[in-house]
Amino acid sequence: MAFGGEIILRPRSWRRLLRFGAFATAAALSPSTYGPQARAVAVRQIYLTAWKVLPGYLAFTALLSVVIIEVVRNGARAYGLSQVALELVLRVLVLELIPFLTALFVALRSGAAIGAEIALMRVSGQLEDEEEAGRSPLHEELVPRVVGAALAVFSLTTLAIALAMYLSYALFFGGSNAGLIVFTRVVGQVFDLQIFVGLLLKCLLFGVAVAVIPLATGLEAEPGQPGSMPAAVLAGLMKLFLVIGLIEILSLMVKYV
Amino acid sequence: MDPKPDSSLPFLPKSLGVKVGMLLAVSILVALALVGYVLHARGVFEDFRRLTLVADNVDGVSAGMDLTFAGFPIGRVRRLSLGKDGKARIHIRVPVEQAHWLRTSTVFLLEVPLVGGARIRAHTASLDDPPLPDRAERTVLRGDASEEIPRMVATMRAVLENINDMTDRGSSLQESLRNTRTVTERMAGKYGVLGGVLGGEEHARRVVQVLDRTNALLASLDGLVAKTGERVLGPGGIADETQKAIAQAGAILGEVRQRLKAVDAILADAQAAAASTKTATGNVAAATAELGALRAEVEASLRKVGALIDEINRKWPFERDTKIKLP
Repeated sequence: MAFGGEIILRPRSWRRLLRFGAFATAAALSPSTYGPQARAVAVRQIYLTAWKVLPGYLAFTALLSVVIIEVVRNGARAYGLSQVALELVLRVLVLELIPFLTALFVALRSGAAIGAEIALMRVSGQLEDEEEAGRSPLHEELVPRVVGAALAVFSLTTLAIALAMYLSYALFFGGSNAGLIVFTRVVGQVFDLQIFVGLLLKCLLFGVAVAVIPLATGLEAEPGQPGSMPAAVLAGLMKLFLVIGLIEILSLMVKYV
Repeated sequence: MDPKPDSSLPFLPKSLGVKVGMLLAVSILVALALVGYVLHARGVFEDFRRLTLVADNVDGVSAGMDLTFAGFPIGRVRRLSLGKDGKARIHIRVPVEQAHWLRTSTVFLLEVPLVGGARIRAHTASLDDPPLPDRAERTVLRGDASEEIPRMVATMRAVLENINDMTDRGSSLQESLRNTRTVTERMAGKYGVLGGVLGGEEHARRVVQVLDRTNALLASLDGLVAKTGERVLGPGGIADETQKAIAQAGAILGEVRQRLKAVDAILADAQAAAASTKTATGNVAAATAELGALRAEVEASLRKVGALIDEINRKWPFERDTKIKLP
């Protein structure tokens, strides 16, 4: 039995994680993976991770967006910098906060659940049984979950970004379409090619991290030892948070340092 | 443990696949729309005119910056480069529908304010000039507030030093102020402005003395004039005496006239006597004629005396009685 803090420091654990990530990505890209069983698991994963939380998550995003837009707008006006307020909102909210928060939200909502599920399978020996029965648990149980979680992150991030952009426009220009030219110009300024590719890459990395890390760490649970489950799940979450934070910091460094 | 393919999904609703499919479809559509919007905002779908601005220094300019015309963004900086001549080049793309604002006579200005980003502005004096051709290269004029600061500081320092010199102890301004104070003190003194103007109480006192003496002189002159007037015009004065003398002259002349009248009467009697004796003495006719001539002469003298009296009465202003007594 090991604590999460010990697992997180084990280089072996990170190596296994990377290997699993590579396998899972390769398997996710091969069409042969998607049999009826795998599709069902993936659909279920997306349903649980994205569909069920969608209203609550969008409400949370809307509230956060409104608050941040108002703070930036009023702050910028107080300093006489109204002309940069919209750009600031787009950079802070759309480029950084929303992808980051979405990744954290999905990690909390589903990462722990996935990790626990896999750890339970591992402890109960279900994965080994399947393997012995001539089926590939990697393809039938693990990869669909990874794909499902990654697609859920993509879906939630996209919808939240769209909502935040709509709210930015609505709060800056009201209901009319008079500000569309200005808004489009600022969007064009903010999203240059580098930033846009960086955003897509960051969202992709978030999705992969949220999907792969809890799952791979769940595999660290020892078969037949239920006591190793909490440590494995906790280590998965800690690793996930660490990686999400690192990705965000790295993306900020590439953009602004 | 017998693995069953669908053992883990017993509680999921039937329409799960449809819902997830809808969610993914909507997400993909939204993502495509966002990408399309961003590309549209980047101007990927627009047709462009290219414009290159040449500047010595592109500090503060960055890709994505606007080119503004009358405050409206009409183009965007695509990239910056350094030419082989050591001059920086700003590559700008202007959408075709905005390109008509740029003419061959357009002037481009690069402004770097103290606060905020740089701005590139276009000024077109006349929109009738021929349009700016594609891939045109123009020099940009640079108006940099921060470049002005060192010069301004140097000027300010010189000004402050001047002020310092002016207000220093012993400076000419201080001297002037001191002099002014002395003058105003004198003005506020016993002799007022006079003391200030003449530079001391002593001089002012003398002037006041001169004025006093002048006053006394004028007073004595006044008395003199009064006495003179009394002597000349008063009772028994020169004018009075003169008037008396003239009155006497008038009386004497009147007497002369009386005498002449008497002579005239005697002559008339003599004429009458001569006429009565004409018949007696025929030779007296000639003598009588001579008497007539004599009488005429006396008449003439009498008239002359009357005229003389008139003349005197007219010329002498104290005699108001203009009546002339004629015989």
